[in-house]
Amino acid sequence: MKLTVSDLTAGYAKAQVLFGMSLELGQGELVAVLGANGAGKTTTLRAISGLIRPWGGEIRLDGQSLAGLSAARRAALGLGHVPEGRQLFPLMSVEENLLLGAAFLAWERRQESLEFTYALFPRLSERRGQLAGTLSGGEQQMLAIGRALMGRPRILMVDEPSLGLSPKLAEEVLATLARIKAEGMGVLLVEQNVALSLEVADRAYVVEHGKVVLAGPAQELAQDERVQKAYLAL
Amino acid sequence: MILAGVLLLFALILPALPLGSWQPFALDTAQFAFLLSGLALSWDLLARTGQLSLAHGAFFGLGAYTAALAAPALGTLPALLAGGVVAAAGSFLLGLATLRLHGMYFAIATLAFSEVMRTFVLKAGFTGGSIGMIVAPPFDGRFPLGGYYLAVTVLGLCVLTSYLVSRSRLSYAMAAIRQGEAVARVLGVPVVRVKLVAFLLSSALAGLAGGVYGMKTLFLSPYDAFSLGRAVEALVIPIFGGLYTTTGPLVGGLLLVGLETWLRLRIGEGYLVVYGVLLILAILFLPRGLVGWFSRRRGGRHA
Repeated sequence: MKLTVSDLTAGYAKAQVLFGMSLELGQGELVAVLGANGAGKTTTLRAISGLIRPWGGEIRLDGQSLAGLSAARRAALGLGHVPEGRQLFPLMSVEENLLLGAAFLAWERRQESLEFTYALFPRLSERRGQLAGTLSGGEQQMLAIGRALMGRPRILMVDEPSLGLSPKLAEEVLATLARIKAEGMGVLLVEQNVALSLEVADRAYVVEHGKVVLAGPAQELAQDERVQKAYLAL
Repeated sequence: MILAGVLLLFALILPALPLGSWQPFALDTAQFAFLLSGLALSWDLLARTGQLSLAHGAFFGLGAYTAALAAPALGTLPALLAGGVVAAAGSFLLGLATLRLHGMYFAIATLAFSEVMRTFVLKAGFTGGSIGMIVAPPFDGRFPLGGYYLAVTVLGLCVLTSYLVSRSRLSYAMAAIRQGEAVARVLGVPVVRVKLVAFLLSSALAGLAGGVYGMKTLFLSPYDAFSLGRAVEALVIPIFGGLYTTTGPLVGGLLLVGLETWLRLRIGEGYLVVYGVLLILAILFLPRGLVGWFSRRRGGRHA
């Protein structure tokens, strides 16, 4: 499965945010979209998952245009989205949160998904009966990712998973994304934490003012002078 | 569900109990309590998707008027079904226009719907307008307990639907929508479709309850059948009993109607003041309703 975004423009009311955003993501690939606050990273994800309607440009999944498809339809096609700020259901248990992530799956498949997710996040399995709101920040982020995995996506989009986490926990959460990639999914990681993201990603796009200004293999970008100056404070 | 079974059994044998001269009154009150609990259960069904409806009084009234008008031609049971269908049709039209609205805005739209419906029934010729209309008793009055058992049946149907929905896939979709619509969408929940299904089920049940109500009171007027008071009762009962549950609206409805009747008998004039105070206290001290209070006392966590 391959996700292709080309020349995307989008915004809210009259404020344009995306000015010709383009990117590609293949299966088994971890790609980071990096940039400062307000660069248009979240808006890109929202347009891909169908939460907002783009003004122009194209979003294709395996060559098939997603235009006009509802968010629910896109999820069923294999797009998973972990929204910014986790958006868990705090008064429900870990397991209930996970099951809500598979609301549209049949019962048997749901059980399968649950086992798959628990295998990936043993910690969630230990805390399955605990209220989601009482988990630590890192566990909450894992739960948000786990919940998105419950729908068995083939492409997972994760919005700012390191937000509000200690450096150690952020590292742990990003490492789980590498494990998800190893399961054969494509992972699109949106992050402000450039240094950490470049460590786990295969490739990266640097976004400024709603379009890609720099792209390439993560290791190369980490060495790039402009990236070092603007984002890595070296 | 055990509780519901016990209550159902009790409802079935109630007419056979030796209540003496109290019997007609007890049966009448019970019938009204069953219908209101049914209405509350139907309201709760929609509330599970996070939509606060003020139109359930109108669905109740639509069902009541439709059943009353159709009964002479179709017979009692088909007329009641027609009432449910018309109420559902009303909710479908209202839903298409309003289910994309949230919280307060949805509530206001449903309030407007209920006012429009009342005005329509008030002005339309075939409804008897403001004078009201006489309703035939169920089954042409051949079975004195017919109306009572119809109310038991409707309540049973509401309990069963509420229970089955809470055990089905739909319940997860509803809970997700209620707690975060945007997340529900990216998790693959067809939000508008789920809301519409909930709305249709909910209004059809409200319409059924309304139909039996009309055949019980034998008289309908727009002020009674479409009263805002009924819409408020439909939401007060689940809040008092426990939202998003089957037990909550069921027990809450029976208790509140019982309490209201008892206060009316004991205090007479002004009993509603006491009733209101008790409701306020309940909401202050039982924020999650009777069901939440019980499950906390048992040390369990309400799921």
